[in-house]
Amino acid sequence: MIRRAGIFLAALILFSLIAPWLAPYDAGRKFDDFLHAPPMPPHLDGLAPVVHPLVLADRLEQRFEADRSRTVRLPWVQHDDATPVFLLGADDFGRDVLSRLLFGARTSIGLSLVATLGAVLIGALAGAWAGYRGGWIDEAIMRVADFVLVLPVIYVVLVLRAVLPLVLPASTVFVLVAWIFIVVGWPFVAKGVRAIVAVERGREYVQAAQSLGASPLRILVVHLIPACAGHLLVQATLLLPAFILAEATLSFIGLGFPDPVASWGTMLAGAGNYNAVARFPWTLAPAVAIFAIVLLTNLLASQQTPIRD
Amino acid sequence: MNRQPRALLSVLLIGVIGFVGWRWYNSASTEQDNATEVVVSEQSTRGGSITVSLRSEPRSFNRLVDRSVPVDMFTFLTNSKLVRVNRATQELEPGIAEKWTVSPDNRTFTLTLRDGVTWSDGTPFTSADVVFTFQAIYDPRVESLLASSMMIGGKPVTVTAPDPKTVTLTMPAPFAPGLELLDNLHLVAKHKYEAALKAGKFAEAIGVATPPPDLATLGPFVLKSYVPGQRIVFDRNPRYWKTDTAGFQLPYLDQVILEIVPDQNAELVRLQSGQFDMLQQNIRPEDIATLRPLEQQGKVRLIDVGASLDPDAFFFNLRSPYWAKDPRRDWITRKEFRQAISHAIDREAFANTVFLGAGVPVWGPITSGNQKWFSPNIQRYGYSQARAKEILAGLGLINRDADAWLEDASGTEAHFTTIAYRGNSSIERGGAVLRDELKKIGIRMDVVPLEQGVVIQRMIKGDFESIMFLYTQSNLDPAINSDFWLSSGSAHIWNMNQPKPATDWEKQIDDLMVTVTSAGDQAERKRAFDGIQKIFAENLPVLYFVTPRLYMATSTRVGGLTPATLRPQLLWNAERMTVRQGR
Amino acid sequence: MGRYLLTRLAFALVLVFVVSSAALLLTRLAPGDFATMQGVDLSVEQREQLRERLGLNRSFAAQYLSWASHAIRFDFGQSMLYSRPVGGLVKERALNTAVLAIMALLFATAIGIPLGIYSGTRSGIGRSLIRVLSVIGVSVPPLIGSLALVFLAARTGWFPVGGMTSAAGIDLTWSQWIADLARHVPLPALALAIPMAAALERLQSEAIESASRERFVAASRARGVDRARSILRHAWPVSLRPVLGLYGVMIGTLFSGSFVVEVVTSWPGLGRLMFDALKARDLFLVAGCAATGALFLAAGTLIADLLLACTDPRVRAGERA
Repeated sequence: MIRRAGIFLAALILFSLIAPWLAPYDAGRKFDDFLHAPPMPPHLDGLAPVVHPLVLADRLEQRFEADRSRTVRLPWVQHDDATPVFLLGADDFGRDVLSRLLFGARTSIGLSLVATLGAVLIGALAGAWAGYRGGWIDEAIMRVADFVLVLPVIYVVLVLRAVLPLVLPASTVFVLVAWIFIVVGWPFVAKGVRAIVAVERGREYVQAAQSLGASPLRILVVHLIPACAGHLLVQATLLLPAFILAEATLSFIGLGFPDPVASWGTMLAGAGNYNAVARFPWTLAPAVAIFAIVLLTNLLASQQTPIRD
Repeated sequence: MNRQPRALLSVLLIGVIGFVGWRWYNSASTEQDNATEVVVSEQSTRGGSITVSLRSEPRSFNRLVDRSVPVDMFTFLTNSKLVRVNRATQELEPGIAEKWTVSPDNRTFTLTLRDGVTWSDGTPFTSADVVFTFQAIYDPRVESLLASSMMIGGKPVTVTAPDPKTVTLTMPAPFAPGLELLDNLHLVAKHKYEAALKAGKFAEAIGVATPPPDLATLGPFVLKSYVPGQRIVFDRNPRYWKTDTAGFQLPYLDQVILEIVPDQNAELVRLQSGQFDMLQQNIRPEDIATLRPLEQQGKVRLIDVGASLDPDAFFFNLRSPYWAKDPRRDWITRKEFRQAISHAIDREAFANTVFLGAGVPVWGPITSGNQKWFSPNIQRYGYSQARAKEILAGLGLINRDADAWLEDASGTEAHFTTIAYRGNSSIERGGAVLRDELKKIGIRMDVVPLEQGVVIQRMIKGDFESIMFLYTQSNLDPAINSDFWLSSGSAHIWNMNQPKPATDWEKQIDDLMVTVTSAGDQAERKRAFDGIQKIFAENLPVLYFVTPRLYMATSTRVGGLTPATLRPQLLWNAERMTVRQGR
Repeated sequence: MGRYLLTRLAFALVLVFVVSSAALLLTRLAPGDFATMQGVDLSVEQREQLRERLGLNRSFAAQYLSWASHAIRFDFGQSMLYSRPVGGLVKERALNTAVLAIMALLFATAIGIPLGIYSGTRSGIGRSLIRVLSVIGVSVPPLIGSLALVFLAARTGWFPVGGMTSAAGIDLTWSQWIADLARHVPLPALALAIPMAAALERLQSEAIESASRERFVAASRARGVDRARSILRHAWPVSLRPVLGLYGVMIGTLFSGSFVVEVVTSWPGLGRLMFDALKARDLFLVAGCAATGALFLAAGTLIADLLLACTDPRVRAGERA
C-alpha cells in the first residue's frame, strides 16, 4: 500500500509540475470581450479538432453566439488572440478556465500536499504520544489541540500579515500558508490517532515491545502509528480538499498569492455566487478537479487488504 | 351565507382586481416612458405590505450617533424632516416646516411649522422639539456624528423658538446651502428624551433594545418589532401628517418589512422567488442577465437610475514626508505622473471589463448623477499610450535597460504598490485592469488585496503608496461635503488634516471653497465649484475612471416609486409607495 | 467518574478563559481598532473621543485586567458595535445556532454513520456509490454547496430559501411558530450536515473496516454469531473510537456557528455575529464569541468521551491507567 501511495503521490506531483506547460494561455491573460464565455466544444474537421469562434452578442447579459461560418484550430496548434478558444469557458475576468486550472494545479496541489503531509505527521506524533502516555501529557496535548481549534485564525493571520512586507513573493506566501495549515490541521489528526492509540497501547505486541526494552519513540513510530495508517489516510483525504479551499479564505484576509497566480481555491471563491451556480457552471471546474483527486486518493486508501468473509 | 351577498362579493372582488390591474397597467406604462419621474399618480390604492432587503444588522436606531445604512433606512421610514432635499429633483422641498423666510444677510431663517403634527405617541410636535434636537446634537456627551456637519465654520447654529409654531435658525457665518443643512437633521422628541440627555444617556435612550412604544417618531411608519438577525417590521403611522394631493392620509402601505439578509446572492434569490419586493442596494451589472427573464415575465422591474454618484477612487499618498527618503520622490507625487496614468487608461475598456459596459467614463469626483454641481467642462485625458509615455519621459522615466519597465535617471524602476480591499468586485477588477494597462506603458503596479479594516487603518495612518477605494459622498452639495475638499478636512483622503495647505492648488481650492460655502448667489457658487473641479482635474489628487450605472430591482407589485441616484434610491419616498394586493 | 468530570470541567473553564484572553490580545494586536474602522466619517478629535470612551487608548494590560475582573462575574463587557452587553447578544445568537446545530448533527449522524458502516463492511456497487457521494460531499466547497441548495430550494419551492422564521412570525402562536421554524431549518441544516456526514462516513467506513479484521470479531463469527450482529455488537463499538475522537470537534464547530452557511441562508447565528465582530474589531464581542466557541468545543469533547466510555469498556480501564 505504501508503495502504491508513493507512486500516486509522485504522479500527482509530476502532473502538477508539468500542468502549466500544457496550458494554452497565460494564467493572467484576460480577454476583455469574453467575460464568462461558455465552453467551446471541439469537433473534428477532417482530422484536426476545431471549434467555432464565439462572438459577443450582448455584453451586459454576457451572451455569446458561436460563429458557425468559421472554425478555429485549437490553441495549442494555433494562437490567435482575436479568436481565443476556451475549451472550459472563461471566468469573470475573461481568463481561460482550462489554463488557470492547469496553472492552479501546481499551487493548489503543491500547497495542500505539503500542508496535509505536515499536519498528518505532526498530528500523528502528537496524538500517538498523548494516547500512549495518557495522564497529564494526554490532557495537555489535547487541550492545546482544543485551543488551536477554537482560536480565531483570522486574527492570527491579520497580526501575522501586519508584520510582513506588503508585497510578498509567491514562494513566501506558499511557505507561510503551508505552516498555517499545518498548525490549524494537526489537532484533527491528533484527536483521531489518540483515540486509536489509547486502545492499541494495551495490546500484546506493544507490551511485548516494551518488555523488550524498545524506546517509547520506537514503539510509537514502528508499532503504534502504523496501526493508524488507514485512519491517517482517510484523514489526509479529508484535509486535502479542505486545505485547497481554505487557501481562498486566507487570500481573502490578505495572505494570498499575488493576482495572476492561479489557485483552485481562489478560482472557486470567485465562482462562489449565485450567478455562477445558475449560469456559469463551468467556473466550478476546480471543484471537479478536487473531486477527482480526492476520489483517487480514496480509492487508494481502500485498496488495503480486502475483508474476507 | 346565502347566495346574494356571495354574488355581490364576487362582483366587488372582480371590480377591485380590475381597478388594481388597471392602475398597475398604467403605472407600468408611464414608468417606461420616463424612469426618473414620479411613477404613479397621487391617488393610490391603500394597504398592503412590502418586504425590502437589508444587508446589515442595525447597531442603533439613533441617527444622531450612528450613520450606518440600517439606521439610515430606519430614519427614512420613521422620520420626517423639517425640510428635505427631494432625491429625484435634487431640490429643497418643505417638510414639517411648511414655509420659511430668509433674512437679507442670508444668515437667519425663520421656519413656520405645520399645524397638527404629532409624534407617534400622540404628543404634539412643537418648535421646542427642534431646539431640543439641536441641543442634543451639540451636547458633547452625546458624541453626535451630526455635530460637525451641523456646525458652520466650527460654530453651532443658534436655534430659538419664539412660539410653538416658529423656529429661527441663525447661522454663525454665511452658509450658502442654507436649509439644505436640515436634510441631515433627525428630529428627536423632547418629552421622551430630555431626561436621558440630562443624565448623559441620550445615545442609549434610542437603541435597538428600546421597546417600540418608547420610540416617538414623526415619519410615515412606526417600528413594530425588531428581531435581531432577522427583520425589522414597521407599521403605518396613523398619526403621520402628510397627505397626498387628493387629501388621503399617507402612507399608502400598511407595513414595511426590512428583512436582514447579509448576502447578495441570497437577496437575489429571494427577489427571484417573489419573497422580496425590493432590494436595498443597486444590483450588480452581472445580476442583470439573471433577472432579465423575470423582467420579461413581468415579475421583476429593472430600473436604470442613471450614473452613480460614487465612482471608485484611486489615489496616491501625497504627504511629502512619506516619500522623503524614497528614491521615487522626484516623480511619484508629481501631477504629471498622475496625468500620464489617466491617459494610459482606456476608460471604455475599463467600463466593459469592470461593469460589463454599464458604466460612464468620469474625469472627476462629481459625476453627471449630481445634476446641480456636475461640470462637464473639465480637462479630460483621452486614451493615448503615446501621450502617457511622452509625459513620463518628461519626468525622466524612460526604459533604460532590457526589461519591460521604465526607469528614472538614477535607475529606480517605475513601480508602486496599491492596496485594495477584497470582496468588492468592482475594486478587484478595476485594480486588475489598472495593473494591465499600466504594464503597457512600462509602469509596474502591485495590487495588494487586504482585509477592509486594514485598508482603512492604513489610509487613516497615511501608511500607503496608493489605494483603490470607494468613498461615498453623503450629500450632493459640496459645501456639506467640505471635509473632502478642504486641505484641513478629515476626508481629504490623499493628505488628511493638513495644518495649512501643502500645495498652491490645495490653497486655491480652500479659497474657492469659501465662496462655495458662503456665497448667497447659487450661480456664483456654481462658478466657484466649477473652478475647483477644474483645478482638481488638472492636479488629479484622486483619479476616477468609470462610474457604474445604477440599476435597482423591484417586484412589479410595487408602484409609486420615484427612483433617485442618492441613497436610499427607492425607499426615500416610502410614504408614496403602493403595492398591488395579492400575489 | 465524579472526579474525572470535575477535572474535565476545570480544564474546560481554563480553555474558555485562555481562548477568550488570546482572542482579546489578538484583536488588540491586529491592525486598526474599532475607532479607525469608522473610517473617515470621524474627525481626528471624534476618533480620539471615541477611543477614550471605549477605553481603547488604555494599555492592553489595564484593559485586560478590568475585562477579566468583570468576566469572572459573568459580565463580558459591552459590544462596541451594537452598544449592548456581549452576554445578551451572544446568548440570543447561540440559541439560534443551537437549533441549527442540533438538527445538523442529527442529519449528519443519521446519514454518515449508517452509510459508513455499510460501505465499510460490504463490497459491490452500493459501497462505490456511497464512496463517490461522500467524496463529492467533502470536495464541494461549503459556499458552493449551500448556494446549490438555495438554488434547488428556489427552483422547487420545497423549502423557504432562507431565514429562520417568516415575516408573519411575530403574530403567530407558539405551535405555529415551531411549525414555521421547522420549515426553515432543513435547508441550512442540510448545508451544514452534508460535508460533515461525508466526513463521518469516510471515518466510520475505514474504522469499521479495520475493526472487522480484529481477532475477536472473527472469533464471534466463528462462534456462530451472524454477520450483521457481529458487526454491530462487536466491530462497531471498537470502530467508534476514532470516529468519536473527531465527533467532539464536530459538535464544537457546529455549535460555534458557520459563517458561510449562515450568510447564504440568512440564519441569524453565532458565525455571522463573530464575523461582524471580527471585521469591526469589536474587542469584547470577539472575546465573547471565542469563549462560546471554546465552551461548546469543551462540551463536545466531553460528550464524545463520555459516549466512548459507554460504548467501549476498554476505554474506562484505559482512562484510569
